[in-house]
Amino acid sequence: MSEHAIPTATSAGMPAAPLARWLGWIGQRSTLVAGLTITAVILFVGFIAPFLYPADPYAIHPAHALEGPSAAFPLGTDELGRDELALLLSGGFATLVVALPAAILAFVVGVAYGLAAGLAPAWLDRLMMRILDAVLALPSLIILIFFASLVTLDNTSLILLLGLISWPGLARLVRNEALAQRGRDFVLAAEQLGAGRMYIARVHLLRVMAPVLVVNGTFMVGDSVFALSSLSFLGLGVQPPQVSWGSLLESALDIIALDPWWLILPPGLLVFGSLLAASLTGQGLLQRWGGHR
Amino acid sequence: MSTVLDIRDLSVSLRRGRAGNVAILDDFNLTVKAGEMMALVGESGSGKTIAGLSIMRLLPKGAKLDGQILLGGRDLATLDEAAMRRVRGRDVGMVFQNPLAALNPSRTVASQIQESWMVHNGGSLRAARARALELLGEVGIPEPAKRLDDYPHQFSGGMRQRVMIAMSLACSPKLLIADEPTTGLDPLIARQIMALIARLRREHDMGVLFVTHDLSVVEEHADAIHVLYAGRSVEWGGAKGFFAHPRHPYSEALLGSVARVGQTRLQNIPGNLPEPESRPPGCRFAPRCGYAKPPCEAAYPPALSGEGTAAACLYPLPAGHRGQDTAMLQGKTKRNFAAQLEVQDLTVRYAGQSGWFGGAAKLPPSLSDVAFTLGRGECLGVVGESGSGKSTLGRAVLQMIPYDGHVLLDGEDFAGKRGAPRRLQRRRIQVVFQDPRESMNPRLSIGDVIAEPLRLKGGIGRAEERRQVATLLGRVGLNPEMAVRMPGAVSGGQAQRIAIARALAAEPELIVLDEPTSSLDVSTQAMLLNLLKDLAVEAGLSYILISHDFAVVSYMADRIAVLNAGRIVEMNDTEKLIQAPQHSYTAALIGAAPQLHRTTR
Amino acid sequence: MIRMVGTRLASSTLTIFILVTMVFFMVHLTPGGPAYSILGMKATAASVAELNQRLGLDQPIIEQYGIWWWHLLHGQLGYSYLLSRPVGELLWQYEINTLVFYTVSIVVSTLLSILIGLVQGVYFGRWPAKLIGGLQLAFYALPAFFVAAMLVLWFSVQLKILPASGITNLRLADPGVGSYAAHLVLPVTTITLLTVASLSRYFGEAVHEELGKDYVRTARAKGVGFPAILFGHVLRNALRPLVTILGLSFPYIFTGGVIVESVFNYPGLGWLMWRSALSQDYPILIAIVLLIGILTVVGNLLADLVNGLLDPRASYE
Repeated sequence: MSEHAIPTATSAGMPAAPLARWLGWIGQRSTLVAGLTITAVILFVGFIAPFLYPADPYAIHPAHALEGPSAAFPLGTDELGRDELALLLSGGFATLVVALPAAILAFVVGVAYGLAAGLAPAWLDRLMMRILDAVLALPSLIILIFFASLVTLDNTSLILLLGLISWPGLARLVRNEALAQRGRDFVLAAEQLGAGRMYIARVHLLRVMAPVLVVNGTFMVGDSVFALSSLSFLGLGVQPPQVSWGSLLESALDIIALDPWWLILPPGLLVFGSLLAASLTGQGLLQRWGGHR
Repeated sequence: MSTVLDIRDLSVSLRRGRAGNVAILDDFNLTVKAGEMMALVGESGSGKTIAGLSIMRLLPKGAKLDGQILLGGRDLATLDEAAMRRVRGRDVGMVFQNPLAALNPSRTVASQIQESWMVHNGGSLRAARARALELLGEVGIPEPAKRLDDYPHQFSGGMRQRVMIAMSLACSPKLLIADEPTTGLDPLIARQIMALIARLRREHDMGVLFVTHDLSVVEEHADAIHVLYAGRSVEWGGAKGFFAHPRHPYSEALLGSVARVGQTRLQNIPGNLPEPESRPPGCRFAPRCGYAKPPCEAAYPPALSGEGTAAACLYPLPAGHRGQDTAMLQGKTKRNFAAQLEVQDLTVRYAGQSGWFGGAAKLPPSLSDVAFTLGRGECLGVVGESGSGKSTLGRAVLQMIPYDGHVLLDGEDFAGKRGAPRRLQRRRIQVVFQDPRESMNPRLSIGDVIAEPLRLKGGIGRAEERRQVATLLGRVGLNPEMAVRMPGAVSGGQAQRIAIARALAAEPELIVLDEPTSSLDVSTQAMLLNLLKDLAVEAGLSYILISHDFAVVSYMADRIAVLNAGRIVEMNDTEKLIQAPQHSYTAALIGAAPQLHRTTR
Repeated sequence: MIRMVGTRLASSTLTIFILVTMVFFMVHLTPGGPAYSILGMKATAASVAELNQRLGLDQPIIEQYGIWWWHLLHGQLGYSYLLSRPVGELLWQYEINTLVFYTVSIVVSTLLSILIGLVQGVYFGRWPAKLIGGLQLAFYALPAFFVAAMLVLWFSVQLKILPASGITNLRLADPGVGSYAAHLVLPVTTITLLTVASLSRYFGEAVHEELGKDYVRTARAKGVGFPAILFGHVLRNALRPLVTILGLSFPYIFTGGVIVESVFNYPGLGWLMWRSALSQDYPILIAIVLLIGILTVVGNLLADLVNGLLDPRASYE
């Protein structure tokens, strides 16, 4: 270069057309947008659609047993001649109405335990973590199966069961984060200024951990749906006569030799969709917030 | 002397996200001769690191390079990647900052040095190992045969850097690029590394391009100097001429802002280094230059050669120009200080690593039997190398760690206090940390950060709080509008000033400063130290200033305590300590710090 | 190094101790006490009392706790009244099957994950990595029962090339390795698909992170070529987190295992646990829970130890 570059007003050479800019905005956040969209769809299917679709899930039509999708039965019928779409929507509601509160319960308990351990004196923290390690030693599904065999399974007990089993993972994460952040200079400075533990937790720790908490909370919702569906699949979750996505898949599996793809795909895809929604949303949020820690 | 490296009209631009390419380095020309140490000096953002990386063609993706880089006659800029790989390590060696990260933690030292050899020479493992042994000996590693199969983390910082140097010499390159090799090392160790590099360049008749931000590091050994500012060369030439009489105003300011032992005034460069996107046309230093005139801003000044050095300045400083008063070890007026802080029998044992079965008993205590008294309005400097316990001392006084012994503030012991009275007493001692950005919660605004002490005390409304925050920002020389910004958007120097403002908001009597300027550029450092001095007088503050930089401490402190291995080895009034150190360790530290060379050389 | 091993062993033992205690108390949480669970909820008071006395359930809880440990350490894990066999024998028999199944799955998963992760890490930011990333996300979200069901649907029912179940019958007839292997294909594929999704992602991220580190820049400055950098420098550092993850995912393979085993009627530990839960056969359930818990702790311990061997720095902690 013979002459040195005189810095001109940089950035975009040409202003982008509004649509292009909007698409670019979405493209940057594509993961998050996809996740939120699927979440909206699942929530619709679970909480709104059941009240819009008129068919009775328990009505039996023996004459139309095991038919594929048709005008009368959009998703076909099962071996008893019940409307698969109606079963799906009823099952969706039953699944979500347990999974979501369970996830919230697990989240709250996990954060509380984790923060308490992270802020506690060293000996108490070590004790709390030992207990946590022991609890975490058992895979959650195993504990779920064990306790599911013990109690009568209604919505309340399922919510409690699911909620009280999956919080240790979050608790450990929160505790580790709290410990890491607690030693940072700005927390030390606040302590020197006279801040107490509750102030530190509220003003500093939660704020700094907020992205981690939200992202993990999202994943927990997905895990909750998966756990409930797995339990139901094994017969230890939502009990008959109420159907759920897991139990629908299990019934379909019993007659799989008859190639009932319309009974397998919908419930499977919906559980898949729930997990995908959670993963994409969490991942999208992580991408947005990743740099601002 | 033959020329090893000849860079001609080098311009480098990097891709910066949406903004496209941004010019980092413009019209760069530099030569290095065999057996010569060329110091490439510039602050962060000057482009010096990019210059070094360009020679090795290790630039990030999307970088554009124009110009010629002639090594022994061959233009490196035109080589393809395969040919360049043959050059790297064989014809040009490179040593980086932070040797712990720059070495693979999972491979032995021997295997990494052997790799340097075998990549270019093939051959047997035994020959490579013999060469590695030879190199380790040459760089001064004691008992090299025993250390061949050690891993990087088993070496101390200084030793690790020697290993890196050994690795770079494996194929006897004609040129060695050293990118800030001594940054982060203790002053005594840094001097040893400098001496090593200087010796090697003579013994191997090797050209050394020493890239650094710290002029004082190269004063003793550099043969030639090249100063960069905001991507362009401002002055270059022989080192002797440069240090005797710098001709570019920036060079003068840079030299003047380096703290030297016994100095009483530091030169301050107002303003900030321009970002690459917004560099002014014309002379890039003009906006901050005390001697600038209108023609300076029109076009970039051509180089004007004079006695000793060439400077890109329309009005280079004449010979014999006396700049700011930088020499003169003046006697600091002895003030009488009423006792404020008393430390007795302070001992700290780190209990942290004990685990269930305790094992920490085997580790030596971090601090042993430290005792001193601090007067009201006095500044006590605490110097020592890493591991000396100086940070531990600060934290103990701040009550951040448990300790044995007594710390009394105005006669009241901290021990035995709990809850609210303890917190109130702690508030009277405030802290400024080393890392300016870490000391602020990244998710709070600057205003929130400074207001925190006010909120914790309570009792004032929002409007009054805002007013006080604005006042505090003004006291540290910042624009009150800064209150709405986020910590990520301010520079290191600004962030440190915010930390000071926050400390002041608590109306403390004493501030502990733990390496407050170590992460900052030399010119920013000067600004901050001057600010602290002014504030001390204005608010009647006492300081405990902790640093490994003896010169910084001697500039600020009334008394100095020298720490080694957890004990105070010497403590005295500043001038007495400097003029007549009693302990050999003190003398060594003083010797390793930048001296007032203009009058003593 | 020895110190580290000792410390980890000690803390693992403590964890197992707490675990066993927890399970003990879990047992006594069963409504009505263990006796009811064994006899069924319709048992008369007399038969319950008699069983309580016979099993020593009417003694103070501290004594029962002690007897519990005594039995455990002697390998006596109880007796399943419903299946009329000692629990220990049952566990052993079913465990073998699970072991075969999981070992194959883990080996295949690990090898695949390393390959995929390498590609993902090296091509980070470019389309191959993005494609892999998308697939990983999708497969991670697939529920185990759905994958298993779909595989059965396609390969057993529609294409008829692989068997869906019946491996127990096979053992009796003993037709040879080939057919046995064919029965394993679908279950192993299911587990592999699910495990590879997350394992390869961890590894891919680790590879990418290592590639950005300073020592890679140093190696380039020495003139080392890219393959040598990848396999000589990056790999050994990136494998470390993988080992930890493998150790941690020990128990989670059991989780997917329960479902997969139930779909394919594979007579492994997971299948046994499922049937025992449905029939409320507590002695077996308790024993399996304990076994899995202990295996998890052991898995973590092994992972830490291997990590310690691989990482030269760990010996100095």
